[in-house]
Amino acid sequence: MADRRPDLEDGGRPVKRLRTEDSDPKTNPYLAHMYQDQPDDSGYNTGYSNGYGHGNGVKLKPEGRSASSTGFGKMPRHQTTADMARRAEDGPNNPFSGQPLSKKYLGILNTRRGLPVHAQRDEFLKMYQKSQILIFVGETGSGKTTQIPQFVLFDDQPHIQRKLVACTQPRRVAAMSVAQRVADEMDVKLGEEVGYNIRFEDVTGPKTILKYMTDGMLLREAMNDNDLKRYSTIILDEAHERTLATDTLMGLLKEVVQRRPDLKIVVMSATLDAQKFQSYFNDAPLLAVPGRTHPVEIFYTQAPERDYVEAALRTVLQIHATEPEGDILLFLTGEEEIEDACRKINLEVDEMIREVDAGPLKVYPLYGTLPPMQQQRIFDPAPTSRIPGGRPGRKCIVSTNIAETSLTIDGIVYVVDPGFSKQKVYNPRIRVESLLVSAISKASAQQRAGRAGRTRPGKCFRLYTEDAFKKELIETTYPEILRSNLSSTVLDLKKLGIDDLVHFDLMDPPAPETLMRALEELNYLACLDDDGELTALGQLASEFPLDPALAVMLISSPEFYCSNEILSLTALLSVPQIFVRPASARKRADEMKALFAHPDGDHLTMLNVYHAFKSPPAQENPKQWCHEHFLSLRALQSADNVRLQLKRIMESREVELVSTPFEDKKYYENIRRALVAGFFMQVAMKDAGSKTYVTIKDNQNVLLHPSTVLQTEGEWLVYNEFVLTTKNFVRTVTTVKAEWLLDIAPNYYDLSTFTKGPVKSALERAVQKIRRKDAQKSQYSKK
Amino acid sequence: MASSKASIDGNINVTDDIMDDAMDDYMSMTIPESPSNLTQFETSVQRRGRKRREAESRAHQASKAELAHQARLNRDEALNTSLPVSSKGYQMMARLGFKAGSALGKEGNQQARKEPLGVFVKEGRAGVGMDRERKRKFEDDTDRGEGIQKRQTEAVFRERQAREREQKRAEGLCWGAMRVLEEFESDDTTTDKDKADKGENAGSSTSKATTAINVLWRELVKDRDEKERLRRMRYDLQQTLSRSTAHDDPDEEKQDRQAWGTEEEEIEVQDPELDDFNRLEPAERLRRMVEYLRENWRYCFWCKFQYPDGRMEGCPGVTENEHG
Repeated sequence: MADRRPDLEDGGRPVKRLRTEDSDPKTNPYLAHMYQDQPDDSGYNTGYSNGYGHGNGVKLKPEGRSASSTGFGKMPRHQTTADMARRAEDGPNNPFSGQPLSKKYLGILNTRRGLPVHAQRDEFLKMYQKSQILIFVGETGSGKTTQIPQFVLFDDQPHIQRKLVACTQPRRVAAMSVAQRVADEMDVKLGEEVGYNIRFEDVTGPKTILKYMTDGMLLREAMNDNDLKRYSTIILDEAHERTLATDTLMGLLKEVVQRRPDLKIVVMSATLDAQKFQSYFNDAPLLAVPGRTHPVEIFYTQAPERDYVEAALRTVLQIHATEPEGDILLFLTGEEEIEDACRKINLEVDEMIREVDAGPLKVYPLYGTLPPMQQQRIFDPAPTSRIPGGRPGRKCIVSTNIAETSLTIDGIVYVVDPGFSKQKVYNPRIRVESLLVSAISKASAQQRAGRAGRTRPGKCFRLYTEDAFKKELIETTYPEILRSNLSSTVLDLKKLGIDDLVHFDLMDPPAPETLMRALEELNYLACLDDDGELTALGQLASEFPLDPALAVMLISSPEFYCSNEILSLTALLSVPQIFVRPASARKRADEMKALFAHPDGDHLTMLNVYHAFKSPPAQENPKQWCHEHFLSLRALQSADNVRLQLKRIMESREVELVSTPFEDKKYYENIRRALVAGFFMQVAMKDAGSKTYVTIKDNQNVLLHPSTVLQTEGEWLVYNEFVLTTKNFVRTVTTVKAEWLLDIAPNYYDLSTFTKGPVKSALERAVQKIRRKDAQKSQYSKK
Repeated sequence: MASSKASIDGNINVTDDIMDDAMDDYMSMTIPESPSNLTQFETSVQRRGRKRREAESRAHQASKAELAHQARLNRDEALNTSLPVSSKGYQMMARLGFKAGSALGKEGNQQARKEPLGVFVKEGRAGVGMDRERKRKFEDDTDRGEGIQKRQTEAVFRERQAREREQKRAEGLCWGAMRVLEEFESDDTTTDKDKADKGENAGSSTSKATTAINVLWRELVKDRDEKERLRRMRYDLQQTLSRSTAHDDPDEEKQDRQAWGTEEEEIEVQDPELDDFNRLEPAERLRRMVEYLRENWRYCFWCKFQYPDGRMEGCPGVTENEHG
């Protein structure tokens, strides 16, 4: 390291001079008193490279550094202490960019140093330096997500290695907002020293040394760089959330660390099951930072509740009426339930204010699909008392479990926990992937309760009995890998160079049938051959950040002369719901949707919407246009963005972009055929004599989701989703023909693999029909 | 009465295909179509009536509730059925050293799952613990005398299912064993001195009173006789246009039906020996039959082989397990 920088000694000197001169009080008024020498700005202002120029020091003995030294000149890599880092942080110039530090920076710096993790910076550094893998446990709010990566930067000095530090996040929004926050903390521009990289958005540059990214993105990078050579340290944040990508990454990193002894891993978790991580990572050392929490008193109900929503509303109102000041956090399961609860609370509170002179109560919903602007409102201060000395005002946040771990809202004193959340389930036997309301785990319940003790001692009201808590709730929530379709993951693993999928060391290996189904699906999609090896199509499909079925549909669309359209459709299927249907204007919303409806199904309807959205009249004022037509501007814009990104991949892989002329009568038929090329395993057939459908091969009775525009009631249809509620539904459907299924996916529709029944007979009839047609054709041609 | 008697006496040739059909039915464990179709005495008018009713039931639009119920049953059944080892996915995994019944991941990981997570659809807004509370109350009310029944845990349920599956399988094997037994006992060409002792059982079993047949395979004969009798009865009916006593009146008294001659005649009125035997567990019945075959015919049901002498050299043992 030292040899890399011949100008090292020169670089070290200006640092000292820098400290001895006091020439820049405007930039650093708060630190002016600390300077003993006149700083020499030029030493830093030469910029980046010079800033890095001080990076060395292995040769320098610790006693050799003077008390006033800063930068990296006197900070030997992997031997630094909290003290050294603190001095470097104090400036006056930014140790990474070389720029003078701003006022704002110094203000933030003080706040940062008050965070719980700072107290253990030395301890962290010692363990980090000693061990290749480190498990770090800190509760939400301990500052770990923003601070630990910075601690690492000062010790790991990735810029000297020409490497990066990566910090993964399960959620895109978190990656973006944390990166912004840390860029502010480090007094650099977002996208330069600190950047982020999420699917379809890369905000990093050549100077970037700290990159926040989604766990999925890091996995993608690993596909092209199996050893992740770009990185000197990888921090897996929020590992307790156990997302599919995090679990896969952990399995991968366990192998990579053996090949790369220079790579360091920090696994950060917010919860208790840290021991599980420890034993998984071969008994890696563990460092726990206590959160700043206050005791929370827990209340249970005497008997089980008949209606948990009603009980929750009652509890909220009771807290408002009788408890002292403090905000309320209520956990419910989904958007509809939350919006409904907010309305009801508002109505009741108005009455309470009129009748019993209660204080004002502001109610805010919070769920993932809420626009960010509205999500921000939860941080608004609580309303004040209407008259001085009157009953206190407070706010009540009604949230899904996103407020459980990922979001910290200060001021919450009361938590109401009905004990449910919506959780993804997947079952390989009927191939259903759905969000279902289920009881939470004990770990979740504890996490929820903990939210009440952020600012002062709080109370948690659990709307179930203590007995139910002990006996009905499972210990920890099942990780996503046990609740997901793995076809995408299997493709990823193959691309990561992992061949023995059966013995791949995952923290919680899924059920064998899940892997069985995934392999089978990929085989039918021709992404894997019969030996389980990636095919050329599989290689290509894995280049797209899409589900394999979508990727295969997109790649084969040029054969159907409609790749432009399928590209739009794929983008539309990759973003949240584009149709908006507010409770207050359902009828109007349905009328507007009918304007775009295509009789053959929902996919084509979505495409109509997109084309209309891109038309000049709509683009004149997209916001207004979307509002009028009950469409989500956000979803359409992000579809537009996704489309652009996918288009780039297609162009680079030479997947042709073609269209059938709109006047051609086969325009829509071609699109429907292309749909079959990807979704032939998601087909349902109409049950004779009733309105229901039966899914092919799994023989599940399903109904069309009420949101469908389908009018023709075709015998066969492809569906995008099989969702479970109290009924089985298929959502987003388009009619197709049996002949296409047989023609486009002959392997899957091999009649000998079907059991006797109406589906088989219907397919047999279709085979006959094709034969007759062929016979006729050949007769004609003879004549 | 006369006709039914005739059907028994006249049933001389038991065609193989009928027997095969019967066997296939039992081995495949499917539920036979509505037994009333078989046991009803049918005239042309009745048949027309039946046809009309059947058409109606086919045309009947199942109500939403019925459909939902059916869908749920279907779903639960599919959820309880593991994927077949014939799947391509399984074969790919087998190539990597996967064995059915083991788990994925690092070898020796005891916590690894073998079964996928269950799917439970919550209905309504009952709070956590309410379902169990309701169940407990219901059990309190119904079994007050016997006290609270133990909550059936998942394990108990699975155990019961496994037991039921095992029983069904044993039942199927029983029919197979009976068939083998009968074949031996009725096959004159294999007569030897063992056979002479049991000579009374030889010949067409259907031509004599079924009670004379060894109880071990009497059920098979009885069942076949019954089917044949019904077949002949239906056949006779189709031939006899003169019969006009067709009635399908549910209000009709039993005596009336007997008077009209439409009442079924019970042929095997009583057979306590067979009833006793059938009350045994299928596994026990099977054991006895296997033993009988070994002792009398030197035939091992599991090896599917008739040994030349009583020592039965080469046969690993009397139970199925010993045969791997």
